[in-house]
Amino acid sequence: MDHVRTDEPSSDLALMADFAARRERAAGVLYDRFASRIYGLGVVMLGNHPAAQDLVQDTFVKLWRTADRYDPQRGRLETWVLLTARSLAIDALRRRVLESRSLQSVGVQPEDDPEPLPDEQAAVADLSARARRAMGVLSPEQRSALELAYFGGRTTAEVAALEGIPQGTVKSRIRAALLRLRAEMAKESGR
Amino acid sequence: MTCDQIRELLPEHLLGSLEGSEDLEVRRHLRGCVACRDERMKLEEGVSALSRAVHDQDPPPELRGRVLGTLGEEWEESGRPAATPLPSGGFRRERSPWRAFAAAAALILVVGSIAFGFAQGHRASLATTDAQSYRNLLTVLGGKEFRIGKLRPAEGSTMQGQALIYDGDPSGDWSSWAIVFAKVPGYTGSATATLLSSEGESQALPPIEFRGGDGETLLVTYADLTRFDRLTVTSPTGQVLATAAIDHA
Repeated sequence: MDHVRTDEPSSDLALMADFAARRERAAGVLYDRFASRIYGLGVVMLGNHPAAQDLVQDTFVKLWRTADRYDPQRGRLETWVLLTARSLAIDALRRRVLESRSLQSVGVQPEDDPEPLPDEQAAVADLSARARRAMGVLSPEQRSALELAYFGGRTTAEVAALEGIPQGTVKSRIRAALLRLRAEMAKESGR
Repeated sequence: MTCDQIRELLPEHLLGSLEGSEDLEVRRHLRGCVACRDERMKLEEGVSALSRAVHDQDPPPELRGRVLGTLGEEWEESGRPAATPLPSGGFRRERSPWRAFAAAAALILVVGSIAFGFAQGHRASLATTDAQSYRNLLTVLGGKEFRIGKLRPAEGSTMQGQALIYDGDPSGDWSSWAIVFAKVPGYTGSATATLLSSEGESQALPPIEFRGGDGETLLVTYADLTRFDRLTVTSPTGQVLATAAIDHA
């Protein structure tokens, strides 16, 4: 009888199967591949380093809990990891808003986040400058639609309402923005 | 939906903001359309480019230890046997070969005797096996459950047989198994058994090679089989020979 195993070396499916099976090496490989982008996403979306670190930790715990659901037929591992992190960052932002509102409703001023250290401020400024440069290749309309959808977690209908444009226009702007960024990245790698 | 309609929905599908029937429709279409899969891949590369260009920043070195340590705690507390501590302070949980062999031996004990009875024309059925036996087996093996199905011949086919799925635990180290025994008197050749889900997903088992009219196949995987609730057996030309609905043992 044939025995089929799905753990071909180096495939993302095998990596996730090993991660689901609690192999520390797989966890280390995943961390080394994706931590910097999850961390950067946290810095951009949540605005401070402690929150970005928490986002990395929470993302890896969630990835482990849902590792069995990863299906390469449905998309790349990279996209799945990034969208998991983005979804958690959006949840964190929503929690902040809710906590802030509930504290204000009982007359307590919410605590400000701790003041970032100078090197943290410099790192955030550097990342912001890089982000501006990268997004600079997009038209203002494309940039706005992509930022609202990707960083803001807004649906097409919500972006359309915020921008006062038809949903079809939002979809085509997001699509054009992603394809433009892909083309720019290909140009950069060719240099 | 047409390719144009699907492509319009791809950005939302990719960003996870498409829900319900539309998302299901997109996924179904993608499975059978290479051109739209290419388009999705381009958009995914766009997301990748965005993430590299806009939010790629090295975290502090100590975060790696913290995250791996947290995973170690998570693994230890997840209700399964304790993991072996590594010198680094993390935890390792390897798939244990003995468990796979134990599962194989146990399953062969159960279905082997049934297959023998089946081959002898006694019409023994996995469905009639004592449910308590499956429960006992689960207690020994761990994992979720056993599910069974009887092969029903398609029109013009004489194929009969049984299918058995053992759902391990895809989030842990219990592999899942799918076994099919089939019988077509006088037939020599091959056939393919494919598991199907209600969402249109499929998982093929290794080919069934028939000798003297009897054939069987076994799939061992760490993928999640719980979503599969039907099985079809097809000939090399794609003709459906038999189907089975798979239900709790």
